[in-house]
Amino acid sequence: MTMNLEQFKEKLLMYGADIRCWPKDIRSSGLKALYSSPELQKLVEDEERFERVLNTRRYEEPSRDLAGRIVAAALPKKKKAQRNLGVFFSEVLSEFSLSRRTFAAVSVSLIFTLIVGFTIGYSNLSGHTSAEQYETHLEDFLNYEGDVL
Amino acid sequence: MDTKLLNLDNESLICRIKEGNHDAFATLVNRHSNRFYRIAYRLVSSKDDAEDIVQEAFLKLWDRPNLWNPGKGAKFTTWFYRVVINLCFDHRKKKKLINLPEDIEFSDENPGPDVLYDVHQKQALLDRFIHELPERQQLALNLCFYEGLSNYEAAQIIGVKVKALQSLVMRAKTTLKYNVKRYLGGG
Repeated sequence: MTMNLEQFKEKLLMYGADIRCWPKDIRSSGLKALYSSPELQKLVEDEERFERVLNTRRYEEPSRDLAGRIVAAALPKKKKAQRNLGVFFSEVLSEFSLSRRTFAAVSVSLIFTLIVGFTIGYSNLSGHTSAEQYETHLEDFLNYEGDVL
Repeated sequence: MDTKLLNLDNESLICRIKEGNHDAFATLVNRHSNRFYRIAYRLVSSKDDAEDIVQEAFLKLWDRPNLWNPGKGAKFTTWFYRVVINLCFDHRKKKKLINLPEDIEFSDENPGPDVLYDVHQKQALLDRFIHELPERQQLALNLCFYEGLSNYEAAQIIGVKVKALQSLVMRAKTTLKYNVKRYLGGG
């Protein structure tokens, strides 16, 4: 494939003045065009000069300890990052030296106790004392004249 | 530090980071902090600010490693470039940056390349020309010319097709060439 002036200019802007770094499929045709045309050689020289100017752009190297600083800054966050429910339970397991099976048994018995407790509580509500009875008892209490221990 | 971690690729390191492995995080930071500092510096033109931005980006990754989703197809570096670039643009909006020497004044007339600027002024002018380019042209120039990324990778980072990326690079260079010739006498 031969490359005309316009195509060459375009590739020069796209891929830079070093034709050896152009993509493989256009490199050889670029070099061929370059060697056969003084006009294209002049274009490449201009591009090289322009790139030299671009390379004068100011740049400051990062501090040597940049990576270390970032890594250190993440350390205090380590615990925070691990605070989730799974970690909490695994910490509990290790704290009390419980096996997973024991931990599950304890959890089930606690849940069972809660259910029984709620059931008893609700069943008592069904046999509740009326407000009238409460008042009567209160009246008895207020009118009690016996010894007070 | 676990030396085995050094042989792991970025994606495997992130998996370890998700498990809270601090050494994996340290390995990733050591591997990439300078690379991401470079692009941050190119965009904010300040060493301190660029370092802070890179630190912020990595700490975000440490806090929420699930933000990077390999299932979406982007490589870790492509995705992280985007994170850093977004932080840079946010920073620039806040700071309304580019402190240029006040003694450089442009007239409407072409001053010609024989106008003498010292090295610092030339660097500041070049920086200014680059920062005056539209954001995507700046990015294309920084990623392709200064960072030496392939057109494909740069296009992925900016989120455009390769053809569009090439067009951005060409427009950026054409504008810069004009300004460089006009004020700095190069190119």
